[in-house]
Amino acid sequence: MALPVSADATPAAPVRSVSARHFVRLKLRVMGNNFRGQGWRIALFIGGALLGLWFAAGGFFLFAAPGLTGNGEYAVLVAAAGGGLLVLGWLLLPLVFFGVDETLDPARFALLPLPRRTLVTGLFVAALISVPVLAVLIASFGLVLTAWSLGGWSAGLTAVLGVLAGLLLCVAASRAVTSAFATMLRSRRVRDLAAVLLAVTAALLGPLQVFGLAALREADWARLAGVATVIGWTPLGAPWTAGIDVAQGRVWAAPVKVLITVATLGALLTWWSRSIESAMVGAASAGKAPVRRGVADGAVAQLFPRVAGWARRDQFGALVAREARYWWRDARRRANLITIAVVGIFVPVMINVTGGDFAAMGEEGFTAAASDSSPVVVTISMLFVGVLASVTLANQFGFDGSAYAANVVAGVPGRVELRARMTAFSLYVLPMLAVVGVVLSVLIGHPGWIGLTIGSLVATYGAGLAVNSLVSVLGAYSLPETSNPFAMNSGAGLTKGLLTLLAMLASAVAAVPMVVAAALLGDAWLWLALPVGVAYGLGAALLGAYLAGDVLDRRQPELLATVTPRR
Amino acid sequence: MTVEHPALALRGLAKRFDGTIAVAGVDLDVPAGSFYGLLGPNGAGKTTTLSMAVGLLRPDAGSAQVLGHDVWQDPVTAKRLLGVMPDGVRLFDRLTGAELLAYNGLLRGMDPAVVDQRAAELLDVLALGDAGRTLVVDYSAGMKKKIGLACALLHGPRLLVLDEPFEAVDPVSAALIRDILTRYAAGGGTVVFSSHVMEVVERLCSHVAILAQGVIKRVGTIDEVRGGRSLEQVFVEVVGGRTATGEELSWLSR
Repeated sequence: MALPVSADATPAAPVRSVSARHFVRLKLRVMGNNFRGQGWRIALFIGGALLGLWFAAGGFFLFAAPGLTGNGEYAVLVAAAGGGLLVLGWLLLPLVFFGVDETLDPARFALLPLPRRTLVTGLFVAALISVPVLAVLIASFGLVLTAWSLGGWSAGLTAVLGVLAGLLLCVAASRAVTSAFATMLRSRRVRDLAAVLLAVTAALLGPLQVFGLAALREADWARLAGVATVIGWTPLGAPWTAGIDVAQGRVWAAPVKVLITVATLGALLTWWSRSIESAMVGAASAGKAPVRRGVADGAVAQLFPRVAGWARRDQFGALVAREARYWWRDARRRANLITIAVVGIFVPVMINVTGGDFAAMGEEGFTAAASDSSPVVVTISMLFVGVLASVTLANQFGFDGSAYAANVVAGVPGRVELRARMTAFSLYVLPMLAVVGVVLSVLIGHPGWIGLTIGSLVATYGAGLAVNSLVSVLGAYSLPETSNPFAMNSGAGLTKGLLTLLAMLASAVAAVPMVVAAALLGDAWLWLALPVGVAYGLGAALLGAYLAGDVLDRRQPELLATVTPRR
Repeated sequence: MTVEHPALALRGLAKRFDGTIAVAGVDLDVPAGSFYGLLGPNGAGKTTTLSMAVGLLRPDAGSAQVLGHDVWQDPVTAKRLLGVMPDGVRLFDRLTGAELLAYNGLLRGMDPAVVDQRAAELLDVLALGDAGRTLVVDYSAGMKKKIGLACALLHGPRLLVLDEPFEAVDPVSAALIRDILTRYAAGGGTVVFSSHVMEVVERLCSHVAILAQGVIKRVGTIDEVRGGRSLEQVFVEVVGGRTATGEELSWLSR
């Protein structure tokens, strides 16, 4: 990739040309500098690498299974389906979960006199240096083993070629798509929308997986093999199945499939190099928001959304109104609300409907149902939903970031602050919990248990609010203030996970009395659960705000410092 | 009762971050009714000092008093007298300008009717009325400074503390901000602001303090500090800037 340099160019000609080697060295250097003096980062990296190897080994044996067992019948199916999933994973996972590895951000090269070809090749080669690529390489060599054991060395060699091309395809696809997205996401509105869509996708992955598995169990294997053959002729499956084709005597198919892969690869790289250019110069407009003319209302009336319209126009009311607006307008918070809604419905349904035969027993009537242990199971599943909903507030001040300074400057009392935040969040969550309670009790065939479900939900939610308001004051951490919705704070993930786990455990413990009552009190509890649960939840939340508010009063500046992102 | 107190009195304020000293004992008296400029190069500790003075950052040592009320002992009273515009701090920017003003007003315990009237006036004067329902996050840098100033002014504070009010502001907005601040000071308010734009400080301020390496190097009325020279000369001398000798970087001229 020599740089075409004309010797008589007016600016001083570069002494040495830039090649992909420089990009590789740059990437290694940046990765190395990231580790410098950061023991925990090295630990995280090693942990990630080990996890990658673990998955790689699993994938290897899955791909190698047809070869190891000498059973070629399902070889195409395994190769096409597994390989296709790999490509799809490379396409979608960076968008949904992991974010893009922006060690080498194309925008940083904007001012350097590099031809686009050099840049794209360099970035592409640099992108190949990563743990996931190594993991996929290891895993996909299972396919080589399969092809070799089924069809000898010629099939094996073809498989090596195919697998390497497939790997390049994976990386190129992920780069091209994320780059195109990044350009599109320059505008804040599109970005917010995308974040929410991705949250929905992420929340739906669990349910989809279960349905997918269920579908697989009943699937017709012969038909699946037919589908796999078709996938094998698309770019998704072509590189992975080429070796198997040679092994099974369809030698003519291999070059065609390699050609398909190479053509796709070329198209993807061209696409990528186009979007890199616009990412570098910022071709996409900043997406000026449409100017909506102000309504004739006063400023105060504009602040209060309809859900918070009942609130008094004072300090508490202003906090509730602002929080209520933020739960809707801040994409990060809205994504959390959507997760609660999806998981809140799905998990209890899974536990109660597919998990036990209690529902079937319940069909016979109320007396029969009341005698089994189901109320305890229902209460426990409700406990999970309540805890999940409330743990969203575990880093409620982190959502605000440095904007929290406004409240510190105004000297808002801690108790008012926490009560208002709980109230605003509950405006959205309580209706959701009510829906979950009703839907679940209808689905399991016990409409009479609505009191039990809603009572348990509110009790756990309230207890969780209490625990989490304390956690949010003491264990807050900063979230990145970035324009990229896919970016994460490396390292914050671990802290966040531990903190969330702690908060969930404590909330669950605080709600245990509801489970005990469900176990001991029998029939009477079905009626008592609602009033007792609501009182318990409300009391716990108020007590939590009272105690945590006191702590907050004493450490407002410290809290502000911890949630302010470091630049 | 508050008449004899200085508007802002800092005594021995000190702060260190991870072993490096950001502010090493700052004493400062800001007389009521003055227009006070806090000057200093980047990293001198201006933002740290002002944050400690208004209750955003707990000092390691020292005290800050607003019109005789200690910011850290009696925060409620002190903060009521204070209007603050921090720098490098986000606003609640998913609100529109009007919503943000209403939020801040109610947070300060103001009467809703007064909030409505003042918010409308401020938006009008600061030429933010045209923004309509645009969220503050979509504002330009200058508009963000202006809405930040409006938030600080809304409750009619006795002391206004502004961190870099003229940073990243176009000349038109800067003139507007200057105008409003002058009017506020003429009406008996006290303004303290940090800056490193010498022209603005020279034009506006009655008093100046020069901060470098976390210590006050020069303090007094603007004429005392200048001593007949230009403020920029004094500043560069105090801060110890390097002047090029002409030998190095010779390849720049070809």
